[in-house]
Amino acid sequence: MQLISANSIGHSINEKKLFHDLSFSIFSGNSLHIKGGNGCGKSTLLRIILGITTPSKGSIEYHNQDAVISYLGHKNAIKNYLTPIENLELLFNNSQLSVALRWLDTLGMSKVVDELSANLSFGQQKKLALIRVLAQPSDLIILDEPFVGLDNATRDLLSNFLKEKVLDGASLILTSHIEPLIDCDVLELGGYNA
Amino acid sequence: MLKLLRAESYKLRKKLRSWLGPLLIMLLVLIAFPLSIDISQFDLNKFYFSIIVVSLLMTSFVATEGMFEEDFEDGSLEQEFLVEKDFYKIVLSKIMIYVCMIGIPIGFIGSAFSFANGVDAEEFPKVFLLLTLSNLLLFNLFAFGNALSINKGAMLGILSTLPLTLPVIILLGRAVRTIQFGEGFFEILILMIGISLLVTAIMPLIISAALKTHLD
Repeated sequence: MQLISANSIGHSINEKKLFHDLSFSIFSGNSLHIKGGNGCGKSTLLRIILGITTPSKGSIEYHNQDAVISYLGHKNAIKNYLTPIENLELLFNNSQLSVALRWLDTLGMSKVVDELSANLSFGQQKKLALIRVLAQPSDLIILDEPFVGLDNATRDLLSNFLKEKVLDGASLILTSHIEPLIDCDVLELGGYNA
Repeated sequence: MLKLLRAESYKLRKKLRSWLGPLLIMLLVLIAFPLSIDISQFDLNKFYFSIIVVSLLMTSFVATEGMFEEDFEDGSLEQEFLVEKDFYKIVLSKIMIYVCMIGIPIGFIGSAFSFANGVDAEEFPKVFLLLTLSNLLLFNLFAFGNALSINKGAMLGILSTLPLTLPVIILLGRAVRTIQFGEGFFEILILMIGISLLVTAIMPLIISAALKTHLD
C-alpha cells in the first residue's frame, strides 16, 4: 500500500537550492536511505515528508491519513528536568508504558532511571529518545541520523528492530552516515548548486 | 485535549521555578512595597491597587517567559505537531494550564491583598474574578509575544506585546473602581468575560501560525 508520494519537490533556503524536482513514493514495507554530504538537505527533506517544513516547490501526498508516524530528529525531545521514567510517562499511556519500560531495561538504562535526564550522557539521552520510536507501534518510521552517539550493541539492536519492523510491513525512511545494515532503496542528495 | 492538558500540567508541576517563582515575586512585591515607604504618610487606599496591577503584569510577564521556548528548543514542539497536525489545541491547553496553576493563585493573592485598598472582605471574590480574567488575557497576549520571538529569546517578543496589555490594565482599573463605588460591576464583568472568551478563542490560532512559521 502506498503511504506517501513526493511530487517534484524542491527546496531552497536563503536562495540556496538544496534539491530540485524530487519525486518518489513510499510503500508499506519499503525502506529508504537518504544519503548525501553535510548541508545537502537530508534533514530538511525528512521534515518536508513529515509536513513540518513546507517545500518551496512541489507537494507531498499522504495516502493514508491514519498512518501512525514515529520520528526522531536531531533534537531528542527529552525534558531535562524529568527522570527517564517521568519522560516516558509523559509520552506513553499505561499500556504502552510497560513496553517502554522494558525497552529502558533492554537498552541498559535501568541504572539511571532515577537520574535527571540532564545528567545522562549523550548516548543515554539518545537511547531514551529512541524508546519513543521503539515502544510505539507505527506505520512509518522516520529517523534522522539514528545511530549517532550509540554504542555498537545498541546500533545492532536498533538495526535488527528496524529490519523486523520493515518485514512486518512498516515503512522506514532514514538518513545516516553510518551504514544501517538494512536493505534500503537509496536516494542520493547533493551536487545541486544551480 | 485531556491528554494534552494532563501532559502540560505534569510538565509545569515538575518545573517548580516556573510556577512558584511568579507567585513568590507577586507576594514579595505586595509585601515589600508598603514596607519600603512610610505608610503613615501615604494613603494606601488611593494607590495600592496600582501596585497589585503592576505586580500582576510583571508576574504574568515572568510566568510566560518559557512557555514555548523550551518545547521548541528540545524538539517536543515538532513531535506534538506530528500527533496533533496543528498547534491550536497545544497552545490552548498550555494557556489553560498556566492560568490554572499560576493565574488563579495570582488572582487569589491579589484579591487577598486588596484589603490594603480598602476593599471589604465580601468583595474579595469580585476582585479575584477580575484579576483572574485579566490574567487570562495577559497570558494570551504574552504567549503570543513568546511565540513571535521563540528562536531569538522569548523575552524580546514578550516585551513587544507590552503595549497590547495597556487596554487590559485600563479595563481592570475601571472594573476595580466599580467595586469601590459599588455600581456597574456586573456590566464590566460581562464585558471582561466576553473579551476573555474572544481572545482565548482567537489568540491560539494566531500563536499556532507563529509557531508553525518558526518550525518551518
